[in-house]
Amino acid sequence: MRKVAIVGGGATKCGKREATWRELVQEAGKAMFDNVDNISPKDVEALLVGAAQPERFTFQVHVAPMVAEHLGITPTKVIATTELMCASGQAAIRYAWACVASGIADVAVALGVEKMYMPNMAEAQTNMTCVLDREWDGVNAMSAPPFFAMTAQRHMYEFGTTKEQMALVSVKNHHYSTMNPIAQFQKEVTVEKVLQSLMIAPPLSLFDCSGITDGAAGVFIVPAEDAKKYTDTPMYIVGSGQANIGNAINNLASISEWVPLKLAVKEALRTAKISVNDIDIAELHDCFTISEIMEYEAFGWCEKGKGGEFIEDGEPYIGGKVAVNPRGGLLGCGHPLGATAILQSIDILHQFRGEVPRGRYVKDAETAVTHNLSGAANVHSLLVYSRG
Amino acid sequence: MGNVEFEKIKRPENIKLPYMLDFYPLEDEKNTRISQFFKSLREGRLTTTKCKECGNLLWPPRIVCSGCLSDKLEWVDLGVEGELYAFTEMKAGPPLGFAQDVPFCIGMVKIGSLLISARIDDARYENLKIGERVKLKIVELEDGRVFYRFRRIN
Repeated sequence: MRKVAIVGGGATKCGKREATWRELVQEAGKAMFDNVDNISPKDVEALLVGAAQPERFTFQVHVAPMVAEHLGITPTKVIATTELMCASGQAAIRYAWACVASGIADVAVALGVEKMYMPNMAEAQTNMTCVLDREWDGVNAMSAPPFFAMTAQRHMYEFGTTKEQMALVSVKNHHYSTMNPIAQFQKEVTVEKVLQSLMIAPPLSLFDCSGITDGAAGVFIVPAEDAKKYTDTPMYIVGSGQANIGNAINNLASISEWVPLKLAVKEALRTAKISVNDIDIAELHDCFTISEIMEYEAFGWCEKGKGGEFIEDGEPYIGGKVAVNPRGGLLGCGHPLGATAILQSIDILHQFRGEVPRGRYVKDAETAVTHNLSGAANVHSLLVYSRG
Repeated sequence: MGNVEFEKIKRPENIKLPYMLDFYPLEDEKNTRISQFFKSLREGRLTTTKCKECGNLLWPPRIVCSGCLSDKLEWVDLGVEGELYAFTEMKAGPPLGFAQDVPFCIGMVKIGSLLISARIDDARYENLKIGERVKLKIVELEDGRVFYRFRRIN
């Protein structure tokens, strides 16, 4: 296997955009090519498009060739769409990485996109309700908020976690997203504001939930040995872990502990040959506030059940034990499903290059992870990035 | 530019819900090999498949055992009561076809070794408790299909 690098990327502004799916692709594609001087569309041999539900949100399938057409890319080695719901973008990076690592392609693009705002938002909610097993769980209106609400309820019941502790995750991530110009949400929130926001599915309120978001982002993936041809400051993919247990609610390993995340973390650390304490930045999948709390625990930064105390003590802030979501997270930046993982990776690149505002800059960071969960948190995907 | 024609065109105002945006499964024998599950529901019985080879109790019901890949499965009754393991209430953002029911409770019901997600009827979030006993309830759709829910016993 060849070592692989990300040498640049570009993204759209995220949020409720007055733009179509294909226009988001064009914006992100232009930004991506503008970011790297000596890669032209004709150089791209492999194109992986992370898109969770284009067939539902835009009534379009076979979208990878549509992306290729709009950006003037004519892939000669690999072209495909990757779907892993909320981790679809990471799936695109992983397959692009595999294409380059294996020697199949020398220049690969992973581009993720989601257009989620629809004229009738009940239609968007419907799309989000066929993610879990539709005939047995979705049929009960089990979309993400009710599922993660029950996850939060069990965590509160078993470990004494409080709504105030969960709200602190939203406060932190919204704080960092005020310093991210492409973030969907640009305002600070307080614990009181989170607790008083519209109740969606108790115990989760509006600001416990990531948004419905339009956005797109793309990155270039090349062999490490070629990286300096394209930039003086590449970042390297040095580790990976991905694990899945079950799908329908009955067949999950646990509701209140994410066993597949623990497995993915173990594998990511093993392949990167690092310990959890070597991680300087963690872009974690905070689709809901409870998610980030459970992720502190699964990574092992704190004991099981102590995730609420971990944030009360300020440990996941910059300057604490580990900087978690200095990008602003999904809570602050929004969650355009297929684009999220690509947006995370671009922000890590900007962190390593020192190209982020001072207030959310993690100085001297050498190692970072990006994490995405999908479905009923039954799949967890992790990549480890290194500056050197 | 003169003779450009303008015409108003019509499209159907309504389309039939099954199958494209319908959450409820197609349940007769023409569409599924587990139609027995729905026949039993119609009799007020909640059942699932159990593997005759390895003994695995499988939920949702299926035609091949995910434990040992045997296709020798049998139907077993799960009884009509369970224990509430977790619950919430859909207060905002329902999918199509659910708006008229908001707010409504959703839960995970423990029946033996199984954890079954279901609507919890006759309940508000504030009044439910983890560990509470709930009882099977059958709902029938306007087209005759059936599905299970649970309700509070008290």
